[in-house]
Amino acid sequence: MQPVPGVFEGSANVVAVLVLLAEFGMLRQAVLRDQVRLYALQSLVVSALAAIVAAGRDVPELYALAGLSLALKVVIVPLVVTRLLRDTSEEIAGSGTLGVATSVLVSIVVAGFGFFAVGALGIHSRVLPTTALSLSIAVVLVAFVLMIVRRDVVSQAIGFFSLENGVSLASLVVAAGLPLILEVAFLFDLLVAVVVFGVLMRVHHGRTSSLSTSALTRLRG
Amino acid sequence: MHIVLLALLIVPVVAAGLSVAPYRIARVATVVAGAASFVLAVCLVPTVAGHTIRFGFLRVDAISMVFLLATSFVYATVAVYAIGYLRDEQDEPHFDRYSRRFFLGFNVFAASMLWAPAVDGLALLWIAIEITTVVSALLVAIDRTDGATEASWKYVLIASAGLGIALLATIFLYYAGASVLGQSYDLSFSPLLAAAGRLPDTAVRLSFVLAVLGFGTKVGLVPVHTWLPDAHAEAPTPVSALLSGALLATSFYAVLRYFQVASAALGHTFPQMVLLVFGVASLLLASLYLLQQRNIKRMLAYSSIEHMGILAIAVSFGAPLALAGAMLHVLAHAAAKGNAFMGAGTLVQKFGTKQISGIRGGMNVLPFSAPAFLLVILALSALPPFGIFRSEFLIVAGGLRGGSHTMTALLVVLVTLAFLGLAVGVTRMVVSPSPSGAAVARGELNVWMVVPVAIGLVALAVLGIHPPGELSTLIDRAVAELTRVGR
Amino acid sequence: MSLLLPIPAVQALQPLTILVAAPGISGVIAKLEARLQGRRGPRILQPYYDLAKLFAKESLAPAGVNAWFLAAPIVAMACYLTVPLLIPVLTTFGLPWGYMGDILGGGFVLSLGSFVVAVAALQTGGPYAQLGASRSKTFAAITEPVVLFVVFSVALVTGTDLPYALAATVRSSASQIVRPAHLLAAGALFLVILYETGRIPVETHTGTNEFGMIEEARSFEHSGPYLALLKWGSACKQLVLYTLLINVFLAPWGLASSAAIGSVALAIVTLVGKALVVGAAVAVIDDSFAKLRLFKITDFVSAAFLLSVVAVFTLYLGGG
Repeated sequence: MQPVPGVFEGSANVVAVLVLLAEFGMLRQAVLRDQVRLYALQSLVVSALAAIVAAGRDVPELYALAGLSLALKVVIVPLVVTRLLRDTSEEIAGSGTLGVATSVLVSIVVAGFGFFAVGALGIHSRVLPTTALSLSIAVVLVAFVLMIVRRDVVSQAIGFFSLENGVSLASLVVAAGLPLILEVAFLFDLLVAVVVFGVLMRVHHGRTSSLSTSALTRLRG
Repeated sequence: MHIVLLALLIVPVVAAGLSVAPYRIARVATVVAGAASFVLAVCLVPTVAGHTIRFGFLRVDAISMVFLLATSFVYATVAVYAIGYLRDEQDEPHFDRYSRRFFLGFNVFAASMLWAPAVDGLALLWIAIEITTVVSALLVAIDRTDGATEASWKYVLIASAGLGIALLATIFLYYAGASVLGQSYDLSFSPLLAAAGRLPDTAVRLSFVLAVLGFGTKVGLVPVHTWLPDAHAEAPTPVSALLSGALLATSFYAVLRYFQVASAALGHTFPQMVLLVFGVASLLLASLYLLQQRNIKRMLAYSSIEHMGILAIAVSFGAPLALAGAMLHVLAHAAAKGNAFMGAGTLVQKFGTKQISGIRGGMNVLPFSAPAFLLVILALSALPPFGIFRSEFLIVAGGLRGGSHTMTALLVVLVTLAFLGLAVGVTRMVVSPSPSGAAVARGELNVWMVVPVAIGLVALAVLGIHPPGELSTLIDRAVAELTRVGR
Repeated sequence: MSLLLPIPAVQALQPLTILVAAPGISGVIAKLEARLQGRRGPRILQPYYDLAKLFAKESLAPAGVNAWFLAAPIVAMACYLTVPLLIPVLTTFGLPWGYMGDILGGGFVLSLGSFVVAVAALQTGGPYAQLGASRSKTFAAITEPVVLFVVFSVALVTGTDLPYALAATVRSSASQIVRPAHLLAAGALFLVILYETGRIPVETHTGTNEFGMIEEARSFEHSGPYLALLKWGSACKQLVLYTLLINVFLAPWGLASSAAIGSVALAIVTLVGKALVVGAAVAVIDDSFAKLRLFKITDFVSAAFLLSVVAVFTLYLGGG
């Protein structure tokens, strides 16, 4: 029997599990607006975890990071995407390549692989338990599944943004000491990426009058 | 020398600022910035060949310098070409807006690609490369055709996902370094390389594989290359040239940095193995695809994948000779591929189609551009006396000396196969007679589109026949930096 | 020194509490649901009146059914009342019969109960009853893996799958409560309970929409006291499942640690109180979600499956 983690580790794990569950929620959710809300929720949870680490492990820079990522990922990104959704008046994603239950099962397998892989590496950090790292890798992998099985630009973009959430989670575990200036630069980069994604989504919608990517089959070979 | 370096990095930003001015000013600014940055880069060579420049968060050593040279050369030539390319559209209704966006994106793109090799540290490197991605994605979409929309979406999604993985790699390397350098440090190269011998194995290994996969997405390594042919084919030609000649190399620079750290930490075997696998896969797939391409720009895009494969294999050979070949290859490929795209763009604009089957009798129609294009393609296929011949010769020699006989043989076979694919397609376009009744008027499009191609050919010939002595010193120093082992 | 109850009496009190309290819990849920919808709703004691009324009526059986049809409600009721013997309903310490079976055993007995009812429904020849029977067995087959995973994660946490042991582990320290495996398994169990008790989003348990019915449709052909037994039985099953959730997973506090009469009485009151809280949560869910289409129930179950698998992952691979 493995030793029981302490209360701090346990709570951190629960928060990390919530991130993964939100990712699965996005995978299942067909209503785009709700998918964006789930993304905001996930970002909120990640920011909260940053604040928890800041308090519990005495890394005050992380408060600033938590605040910034809250502003960016909980407010700005969802705003950008919801405005796009309002302008395009499309609400429901077309059916993906796989059914909901199948894609959940596939993601479970993929997430399990991530768990095993990270578990086998034996990477430990003094900040957060290894389970949180395994969970973050699982989030990244499930985000990939989301980007692959969905066939509309909004879901794919949300998949990418949530992939970034998974990476943030991983960085909380293994790189909590990363200088604040770099973290801020990463976030700024994400902001730029969000703007570009927004522009390209609009271009796509302007061109094809839909958010679906199923028409994007011209270029091959 | 700090001033020169700063000027090199700031000039394109200034040009980007001027891009919002009227077209006349914008184009002059862009051409001047391109030329200036190349001249400044050349000025830096002797200094960097002697010692590494460190200045604030900037650090330019011999490896970075090679990539700076390559990028600034492509920037300079393509800036001139872009003027000629846009001339055709000057009478379109929204040309002002289009050209403003184009030059703004073009200069920012170039700036970000110049920043990437100049910044100190893996974190900043990641940031610079991410900026190249988002800017170039907008440039790919700028034409707003169906194809461009599709290509840009695929590009931004796949490349961003790849960079997400690269960010993971950065974080894991940070974790590895934290055990030696303390909990809070900034991932800059010198301390990291100095400490490399003491880094924990597993984390570095993981980080390296993730980095090759992540940055490899932007390099165009198989199997994460899928965006590349689309984006290269659908972007405006000047952008394609920048993408292929400079961006792929800049991304490869990131891989090379991780290679440097990883081989200092783990010894050569593992990193070389990883690069070899990716390199052979890229080379194999690209040369097979080259045999059946019907679209001229896609053909060149697959040729880029092929050359990136060659680069990866060259680095994986590890012998100093092969590494010198790789460095030279970066320069030669930049000159050749930028040039090839410009030539192809001229053909496409003249004949009004990207389909190889629609372009016939180029020799008759374009008396200079068509033969020049043929020459560039021959240069790309490593025929003497051009630079790629020299670099690939060095790589093969290095491979044989390093003892990787099978892989070297495979390399030669696959490169020949690629040559076959390229040569067949291009000779058809250039040499075979035009069908009777074709109504394409004889004559070059304009001088802007001719001059850069000529300059590129001269550069290729110089690299092939007799590279300047300072360049050789620079490359030797880069090789020395790459082969330094921590343990 | 308070008066000690004999252990067999405590043992008997466990199923008895369930038996008596179950219709009341259903009544409260129905009332609460109605109030949330802005209706006045039935009296809380209405289920008891319903049972009394049904017991007073004559019973009819369709032609061609055998004794099994009549025996099924009684057997099912017996099954539902056996489970409370195995789980910690009132006490923290194991009662003599508490070690007869583990969680799996309890699960088997519960499914036996619903199997018996389904077989009886099949005998009738009534289309809706048969539909309900076949549907309930089909979906049971896909909820079963979820239940098994929940049991596995429980077993991994405690090293045993005895409900008493798990409850004791949860009580032992705060770090046991916050571990993700525990919370996820509890979440999965809650979803399974929504399914098993025929609640939204799986089924409208008060509705008359025969096409969407699963569990409710099975009792269509029963009448009189037999129907009363079936209704009472499903109320008992609901309370048994709630008890399992609260006394084993979520809040195993307030149980009697000795056989003293006062603490046992207190345990009865707290049990009812906690079950009402769960019932309130269920009522809110009932009112805030729409029923899923029949073919979407697999999606719902896949969510529960996901929770339980992640529970095992975090536990097995991270000690979480």
